[in-house]
Amino acid sequence: MKGKRFVVMALVLLIMVGLGAQGQKDPGVAKEVELRWASIWVGNDSKAPAVEELVAAYNAKNEGRIKVVIEPQPDYNAYEQKVRTSLAAGQVPADIFTIKLNPTTATFYQSNLLMDFNKVMDGAWKATFDAPSLAQSEIDGVLRSLPMETAILPLWFNMDLLKKVGVNEVPKTLDDMFATFDKLKAAGIAPTSQMTGDTNAWTSMIWFSHFAVALGGPNVWDKPFTDKAFVEAAKLIKRMITEYSTSDAVGLGAGGSGGHFLAGRTAVFSNGPWYAGRADLAATPFYDSIRIAGLPDAGPTKDFMISRLQANICAAATKDKAREEAIVDFLKFLTSKDSITKIAETSGAMFAIKTDFRPTVDLKRQFFIVAEGAKATASDLEAALGAEVTLEFAQQLGALALGRISAEEFCALVDRKIER
Amino acid sequence: MHIVGSNKKRIWLARILFLLPVSLLFFFFFIYPFLFTLYTSLTQWRGIGAMKFNGLANYGKLLADATFRKALKNNVVWALSQGFIQVPLACLVAMILVRKPRFWKALRTAYYLPNVISTVALAMVWVAIYNVKGPLNAILHALFGVEKLNWLGNPDVALFAVIFQTVIYIGYFMIILLAAAMNIPRSYYEAAEIDGAGTFRQEWHITLPMLRGTLVTTMTLAMAYGMRHFESTFLMTGGGPAYATTTMGIDLYLKMDALRYSEASTVGVILILMGTVVISLIRILFGTSDPMSETAQ
Repeated sequence: MKGKRFVVMALVLLIMVGLGAQGQKDPGVAKEVELRWASIWVGNDSKAPAVEELVAAYNAKNEGRIKVVIEPQPDYNAYEQKVRTSLAAGQVPADIFTIKLNPTTATFYQSNLLMDFNKVMDGAWKATFDAPSLAQSEIDGVLRSLPMETAILPLWFNMDLLKKVGVNEVPKTLDDMFATFDKLKAAGIAPTSQMTGDTNAWTSMIWFSHFAVALGGPNVWDKPFTDKAFVEAAKLIKRMITEYSTSDAVGLGAGGSGGHFLAGRTAVFSNGPWYAGRADLAATPFYDSIRIAGLPDAGPTKDFMISRLQANICAAATKDKAREEAIVDFLKFLTSKDSITKIAETSGAMFAIKTDFRPTVDLKRQFFIVAEGAKATASDLEAALGAEVTLEFAQQLGALALGRISAEEFCALVDRKIER
Repeated sequence: MHIVGSNKKRIWLARILFLLPVSLLFFFFFIYPFLFTLYTSLTQWRGIGAMKFNGLANYGKLLADATFRKALKNNVVWALSQGFIQVPLACLVAMILVRKPRFWKALRTAYYLPNVISTVALAMVWVAIYNVKGPLNAILHALFGVEKLNWLGNPDVALFAVIFQTVIYIGYFMIILLAAAMNIPRSYYEAAEIDGAGTFRQEWHITLPMLRGTLVTTMTLAMAYGMRHFESTFLMTGGGPAYATTTMGIDLYLKMDALRYSEASTVGVILILMGTVVISLIRILFGTSDPMSETAQ
C-alpha cells in the first residue's frame, strides 16, 4: 500500500513539475507563430511549385519565429464552399486564404473576422500594387482583401486551323470573323468552343462579355440588362452557339469546351492566362501557333480587353499583435516584387503587383502584350454582376440557344436577378 | 411489490441510458440544425452579418419563384420515379432471382455492382454516353435511324435522361427484396402448386403480399432518396439547361452559392416538410400504420 502511494505521489510530482516547466516563459525566446494558409495554388496548379519554394524559403529564414503551413485546397468549388460556410459559422477558414472578389463575395467584407489591410499597410507596401486593382478591392473604405492574381480574358486562335482555310491573320472585324468561321465550317472544323453548362457558362460568358462591352462600352454593366447592348450581345452569342460551335455546346461544361480546343476540334477558344500554363496544352502540336487577341471590332468600343481580379488574399483579423505582425510580414514577402516574379516565371499568370517580368514563352508573353496594348479594360459579367446573375445567364443561355426564349426575354430574365 | 417497483425503475433507467447517447447525437446533429434552419428561414441573412427577422417573406418569395416551382415539380417526379419505377423493377428482378435460375448469383452481383461505384464516376460515364457523338446516339441512329439528340442539353429530355441513369441501378433495393423473398417458406409455393396455381398467381398471391412490409420500407427509402436527390444531376447538368433538371437540393446549393442563406434554409425546411408528407402518403397508400417499423423479412 505504501509503495503504491509513493508511486502515485511521484507521478503527481512529475506532472506538476512538467506543467510548471511548460508554464514558465523564457523571456529571451518568443513563441513561434504558426500561420495556416488555405492555398489553392497546389497540386497541378501552375503556380504551385513556385509558391511551395517561396514558403519553404520564408520558413527557413524565419525559423523559430514564424512558420507558414500550406493547407492544400486542390478542389476550388469545395474550397469556395469551405470559405463561405466557415465565415457563416463565425470562423475564418485559415489565417490566410484567397477569394474571387465579385459582388457576391463582397459580402465577406461585412465580416469583422477579416483583417482590414488599410489599418496595417504602409505607403511603400501600397505602392507595390497596381492602383486600380487596389482601388477595386476597397469597398466603403475597407480593404479586407489584397489584389493578388489578375487576369485578362482574351480570345485564343489556333492559327494552324485558320491557315488550313486560307486565313493567315486574326480577323480584324466581326464580318471578317464570321467569314473565317464560315470557311472553317465548310472545311468540317467547328469554329468555336461554346458552352452553356456549369454555374457560369464560362467560355460563352467571356464571349458575351466581349460583345456587351464592344456594343455598350466599358461601363456597360452599370446599365439595365435589358439595354440594347445586351440584347444585341445575346443575339450574337446565340449565333455563336447555334451556327459556330460544336453540336454539344448546349449543356457542355468548361472541361468539354476546353477539351474540344485541346483536341484541335475547335479553332477559337476563350480563357485566362492560367490555361497557357497547362501541360496538356503545351503538348499539343499547335501550341506555338496559338494567337491571343481581343474581340475583332464589333461595335463602338474598340481595342479593349476584358479583365478581372482573379484571386484576392484575405487574412484573419486578430487581436494578437505578434500574429498580426507575422501575417503582415509573410504577405509583404509573398507580394514582394521578387516573389511575384518567381511565381509569374513558372506559371505565366498575371498579378496586381507591379514587376518588370515578361514571360519568355511566346504564348504567355502574348497575354502581357495584349493587356498592355488595350486602350481600355472592362470586367466580365461574373466579376461585374456576381454569382447569382451569372447562374441565371448560364441557365437561360441554353434556352436562348435552343430558341425557347428570345434575346429580349433572355435579357429580361437575367435582369430580374440583378440587385439594385 | 417493492422488488417489482425497483426492477421497473432499473429498466427505465437502463432505457434512458441506452437512448441517451443517440438522443444527444440526434439532438445536436438534427434537431438543433433543423431549428436553426427553421429560424434562419424566417430571417434575411446572407451568412455574414446580423439576421433580420422577416417572417414568412422567404416562403412567399420562393413560392412565387418559377425556378423553385420547377425544382419542386422535378422533386416530385424524382420521388415518384424512384418509388414507382425503380422499386417495382427491383422487385421484379428479385422475384426472378429468388427462383434461382442459372447464373443467379452472378446476376445478383452484376445488378449490385453499380452501387459500389462512386456516383461521380457513374455520372461521368453517363455524360459520355449521352454526348451528342456518344454511344447512345450512335446505337439509336444505327438501329432506328433516330436523329442525334443532345440528351443533357435539351430541356425536353434532360430530366428523363438524368432520372433514367439512376433508376436503372436497382441493385440496392433488389438485394433487400431478394433477402426478404428468400425468407418466404417454400411450403407456401408447394401448396399453391398442388392447388394448381401457376407462377404468376404464386407471385401475385404469395410473394407480393409477403413482401408488403419490405416493399413499403424500400419505397419509403427510394422516395426519400428521390426527394433529396442532388449529386449525379448536379455533376451531369448543374441543374440546367434552363433549370430543366434542377431539384430542390440543387436549388438549395445554388442559393448558398449566391450567399442567400436564409432562402436556402427555406428550401431546406420545405424539403423536410415534403419528405414528411411523402412518408405519410406511403403510409396512407399502403394502409400501414408505421411503415418504418416493417423491417425486411
